[in-house]
Amino acid sequence: MSEQKSFDIVLTGVGGQGIVMLSNALGNACANADIRVLTGELHGLSQRSGTVYIHLRMGGESISPLIPYGEADAILAMEPMESLRYIEFLKDEGIIILNKRVINPPLEIAELSKEKRTDFVTFENIVEKLKVVTPNIAPIDALALAMEAGNPRTENAVFIGAMSALANLPPSVEDMKIGLETVVPKKALEQNIKAFELGYKTAYDGLCDLVQCREL
Amino acid sequence: MTLDSVINTEPGKGFVMCNEAMVRGAIEADVKVVSFYPGAPTSEILDTFNSAQKYFDYKFSVATNEKVALETVAGASMGGFRALTAMKSVGLNVASDAFFSLGYTGIKGGLVLVVADDPHCHSSQSEEDGRLFGPNAYIPMLEPSNPAESREMVKAAFEISEKYGTIVLIRTTTRVNHQSGIITTGPIERKPFEKSQWAEVGKPYFTVGEIARQNKLNLLKKVKAMGEDFESSTFNIVTPGEGDVGIVASGVSYCYAVDACKKLGIKPHILKLGTTYPLPRKKIIEFLKPLKIVTAVEELSPYLEHNLKTIAKDTGLELTVFGKDSGHFSEAEEYNVPIVYKGIASALELKTTKDYESVLERAAGLKSILPERIPVFCAGCPHRATFWALKQAIRGRKIVFNNDIGCYSMAFFPPLNFSDSMLAMGASLGVSAGMSQVLKDDIICMVGDSTFFHAALPGLVNAVYHDRNITLFVLDNEVTAMTGQQTHPGTPQDRGMPQGKKKIIIEDVCKGIGVENITILDSYDVKNNVKPIKEALDHKGPSVVISRRSCALHGDRIKRRNKIPIVPNEVDKNACKKPHTCIRDFHCPAITFDTDDRASHIKSDICDGCGVCAKICPFGVIHPVGSESKTEEVEK
Repeated sequence: MSEQKSFDIVLTGVGGQGIVMLSNALGNACANADIRVLTGELHGLSQRSGTVYIHLRMGGESISPLIPYGEADAILAMEPMESLRYIEFLKDEGIIILNKRVINPPLEIAELSKEKRTDFVTFENIVEKLKVVTPNIAPIDALALAMEAGNPRTENAVFIGAMSALANLPPSVEDMKIGLETVVPKKALEQNIKAFELGYKTAYDGLCDLVQCREL
Repeated sequence: MTLDSVINTEPGKGFVMCNEAMVRGAIEADVKVVSFYPGAPTSEILDTFNSAQKYFDYKFSVATNEKVALETVAGASMGGFRALTAMKSVGLNVASDAFFSLGYTGIKGGLVLVVADDPHCHSSQSEEDGRLFGPNAYIPMLEPSNPAESREMVKAAFEISEKYGTIVLIRTTTRVNHQSGIITTGPIERKPFEKSQWAEVGKPYFTVGEIARQNKLNLLKKVKAMGEDFESSTFNIVTPGEGDVGIVASGVSYCYAVDACKKLGIKPHILKLGTTYPLPRKKIIEFLKPLKIVTAVEELSPYLEHNLKTIAKDTGLELTVFGKDSGHFSEAEEYNVPIVYKGIASALELKTTKDYESVLERAAGLKSILPERIPVFCAGCPHRATFWALKQAIRGRKIVFNNDIGCYSMAFFPPLNFSDSMLAMGASLGVSAGMSQVLKDDIICMVGDSTFFHAALPGLVNAVYHDRNITLFVLDNEVTAMTGQQTHPGTPQDRGMPQGKKKIIIEDVCKGIGVENITILDSYDVKNNVKPIKEALDHKGPSVVISRRSCALHGDRIKRRNKIPIVPNEVDKNACKKPHTCIRDFHCPAITFDTDDRASHIKSDICDGCGVCAKICPFGVIHPVGSESKTEEVEK
């Protein structure tokens, strides 16, 4: 493996959304293309609904499983609050691809209920804060796209597709597809590929004016 | 990963987690017996061996606890077979009695024990340093930094084990276990499994008194020989640098140190230690000789640092050793590149260009709007229901609640904030026994089904024997839920999972021990559970309340497999009087409220249809999707 361009990304979301599958698809995409890859993952408890993150490092020479603060090229958040929760890892003007669907934690809901308030943290609140760090933000309505692909459980394939639009990503679009194929059940492959393509297109449309994207 | 990278008999490349890489290494080394009790961050070793067992002839079992697991693989080793177990550091505390003796008796077939520390206490009670087990028990120890080394070291550990007739430790930390990367696998060539005969393989395994004293002398000789051997181990790597400054590191700290030095623009000489007990003394002396300053980079205790100091002093080297004693690094917390960057920079008085603190500061300001997302009971979790009934039952009572290790530990955190103590697996029984002698309150303790078998039984026997006035809750959800729903002796036999051959019935065990007051509840029957819980608390002497319902994640998986539909609930929005009982007292991730009219709302994609919220709704306006609510019936 000769010197490769590096790309560090924080994958995040809420337990049960399939972040590990996302990471496995990316890891396999790199493995197939002979690109260096390592991850640092946190999945100690198996409860759903907690915060989950995986640091994924492609190419480059770093050997630490965790990305230093302010050095990630991108954050990919299957739940938007979680992109802000790990914002310290993103470099200035890094890329954020995030789901539009906010999942409010039970504690926030209970607190608001007690105080008779309804001011949930909204998608707009989150994006406003993210913009302090970067203008390069691509919101994705992953559930709608997954439904369009024919399977609401293909949200993570939407994100794998979305990431593929980034020109700086070491694995090619084709590598990414192979990575996805390695991790999804065969019977759901067609829907996952559809979801992948929809995700790709949405990210391309949202980001191509801001950062370098590549053709499918 | 895909399981294929672990089971493919041909050599190749694969993207795997360190836990999986260790399994691959063991299968390549022809391991024949493996046994575990699950515990983060090692559970995936168990899970991967479980998934792969249909492809190979090794014997796999989930043991009742780590001590039994270690003894199981020790027995297999005495019978001449290669065997492996893995556990978290607190698990080795449980197994340590057998562990120390095994050092003295020695073993026969290669025997490997993976022990994982958990700096930062991601999922453990303490930041214990498992490295101290090595020198304390005179057991050799290897420390991998990444998946490739994890695989290689497990293979090498079997060789070392058989060469010296000793159990071998592989010591990891959370950031090693849960690190994925690409490994190159070797071929899998396994001899068919065939039982041996004791007369051919056996020898005495005994250690007490004079025999133990002799064993110890032999052990010291072994350690000396291994130390010599490790001088040439390829796991200890010197990367030459510039000048007279060096770094010594192992495990994941080595990775942080290498990256941090690059960022600092320095090229110190680096010694990466893979055999951290016994240490390769001569190799270390060779490394230290030309240096004026050496910095030890290691998480937790100053184990390497103190060894370096001793070696330098004994050898008469004029060397400054920086590390924790010098105040540049902490014995607390998990490291990362920024921490190591700062530590090395301050030790070597280097100018820094990276301002990680200001990045953190800005981030803290930005995310101050975020509500916490701490782990809560899953939608459909029976524990939520049990706690609801328990909290109703203790109204007006003075109680102490001693919690234990499992998903129910989370009761300590918001929103429940309900627990007075939690020490260790099964400890709630002993603690309760002590409290019952000195406190006037009702004493409640709680264990899960898996913890019941793991470490609660001696505590229960003790409570019955001494007639302690305590109430034990056993939350029986069929599996070891917190670590990934592994089986245990109480798991029903019809769940389609590979498991032991006989279900042990918890109430029968309690009866057999002599518990006279046993109450069995359906966790979901929340309102009807309050009275029997009160009665159990009123009972003088030990009482047991078994609250039974399958773990929601496990139960839903079984339902999906058997094609049983999971029907979520919904709120009759027009009838909802918005008391938010389902939200405030319940904290189910599936329940929220609409911002337009504040009516409760159930998210159908998360709800698992347990229906407990419907039972506690004071107006009965929650019902399964597709059915009609009571209020609608009234209107009709």
